[in-house]
Amino acid sequence: MPYSTDLVDYVLTVLLPQLLHGLVFGAALGLLALGLTVIFGLLGVMNFAHGELYMLGAYAGIVVIGVTHSFWVALIAAPILVGVVGAVTEMTTLRPIYNREPLYGLILTFGLALVFREGARQIWGGDMRRILPPFTGSTPLLGMTYPNYRLFLLAASSVILLALWLFFTRTRAGIVVRAAVQDAEMLDGLGVDVRRVFTLTFAASGALAALAGLLLAPVFTVYPQMGVEMILLAFIVVILGGMGSMGGSVAAAFVIGITQSLFSLWMNPQRVAIAIFGIMIVVLIVRPRGFAGREGVLE
Amino acid sequence: MRAFGWRAVVVFALLATLPLVPGMSRYYLLLAFDALLFGAIAMSLDLLMGYTGLVSFGHAAFYGLGAYATAILMERGVQSVWACVGFALLVVGLYALVVSYFATARRGIYFALLTLIFAEVVYTFFRYTQTFGGSDGIQGLPDATLFPGLVLDTPVRKYYLVLVYLAGAYAICRVLVASHFGRVLVAIRENEDRARFLGYNVQRYKMGACMISALLTGVAGAIYPMRSAFATPDLMLWTESGEFIISVMIGGLGTLVGPIIGGAFFTILRDKVSSFVDWYFIVIGGVLIVIVLFMPRGLLGLRQLFARRSGRAAA
Repeated sequence: MPYSTDLVDYVLTVLLPQLLHGLVFGAALGLLALGLTVIFGLLGVMNFAHGELYMLGAYAGIVVIGVTHSFWVALIAAPILVGVVGAVTEMTTLRPIYNREPLYGLILTFGLALVFREGARQIWGGDMRRILPPFTGSTPLLGMTYPNYRLFLLAASSVILLALWLFFTRTRAGIVVRAAVQDAEMLDGLGVDVRRVFTLTFAASGALAALAGLLLAPVFTVYPQMGVEMILLAFIVVILGGMGSMGGSVAAAFVIGITQSLFSLWMNPQRVAIAIFGIMIVVLIVRPRGFAGREGVLE
Repeated sequence: MRAFGWRAVVVFALLATLPLVPGMSRYYLLLAFDALLFGAIAMSLDLLMGYTGLVSFGHAAFYGLGAYATAILMERGVQSVWACVGFALLVVGLYALVVSYFATARRGIYFALLTLIFAEVVYTFFRYTQTFGGSDGIQGLPDATLFPGLVLDTPVRKYYLVLVYLAGAYAICRVLVASHFGRVLVAIRENEDRARFLGYNVQRYKMGACMISALLTGVAGAIYPMRSAFATPDLMLWTESGEFIISVMIGGLGTLVGPIIGGAFFTILRDKVSSFVDWYFIVIGGVLIVIVLFMPRGLLGLRQLFARRSGRAAA
């Protein structure tokens, strides 16, 4: 039966690799969106500078690789560097405005994003850069071959997401962060230093964004505007998952990643973007709390 | 005239004499054009942000659609200002009707995100549609004609066009804010549920505010190509919406005059700083951060701080 072999062929050579692409991208997007949604839960602020922390992660990676010639050292050092930037930013600019309306946080982070983006352009220039993957080659998998680095990307992101899940459910520190997302004032009343929780969480969220930026850098390109393109997608993921919901964000990241890569089989990139925006509009109209958001929160 | 106020009359009269200032070059007149246009847009947005309490992250789409409406007509040989503005009102009105219908059903961050995503759809459409020039947009437009025989071909004439528009838009906003409609908007900002319990159809009021703000911004967009001779998709980028919001914040939320000053200040700052250093976005971002941290009521709030410690400026 030629028809069925054609179908098998299509699934193996077209559909499956694209599905895997979607999974890989979704996992990295999950890292980015997770930090964003935790910050949203904590501060009630959509952090517009989150995309710039993602961008800084890739550039910090380039710098560390330039010094040490090791991708692996960069993978540890870059998130730490960006985490420090995040902590300093939080202490100097966000902390004074916690008691104000969320609008101010939105605008402040917009200003921060401008400063970071232009700062990166001044330091590293505006042209596209690449980070070479630490290893090349591909692995035969289910009748197709798939690049090793992408498989590593998927594995690394999944391990980190799993570790974060364990952190949030099994450790005291993780439970404190979740409590702060629920009700920071109550936590303060219970004697926890909430300001320190905020600073450390902001730093960690920046480090996660940086990790996503560096992990994706060998697949994409590095340039000062790279955060602007990603942040919109990350926003969409956060809404779809339900703002402030961590599990929802990760699930939504995979949904968006896979949807995007499958749609791009049948449509040009412009239509894919519009289709994803369309899905988003429908979600916001019909079920604004997303997959797992609490009902009525900020609606 | 009562709603307009004598101080506004004086300021507009002074602005009208600007082209007579000795040494006023073509460059400065066009800069003044941009400053006043940006101020007018920020003022329209203030109607929504400052008075109704809705932050729109999609005003760039209203602006850009207005600009494309003019560009598309001009490309096809229509040069009348009235036709262009009329077409812009139609196009922007239809789009704003859809956006405001869906967006005003949601509050807070969801309103902001809905307007943002709708605007991104419009941006993506124009960015990739070759009929409208794709990423280059529509370039090389002719000068517009106000009446047969009166072509807006000099910077002075263009400047007066935007000045008349700003005065008109300001008068509309002032009247609106002082009217019953405006009072209800403020009531919605302060406590939406209470306004609803008082029997007001809250969504209809919010839609009304959204439509007026969008249409005023759309007209500003329609005027822009008459000075720049182009319309590009970058006019609709969400960062442009961010710049409108910045202008409102710089000037002072809920004051109408503040955002005009804020928009003009922002335009002139961008122009002046960018002619000295090429890292002007750092300066602008820094100014924004300083304003949020130290003067949350904007430039106009500063005045009140020094003058008398009277009640709230807005409403």
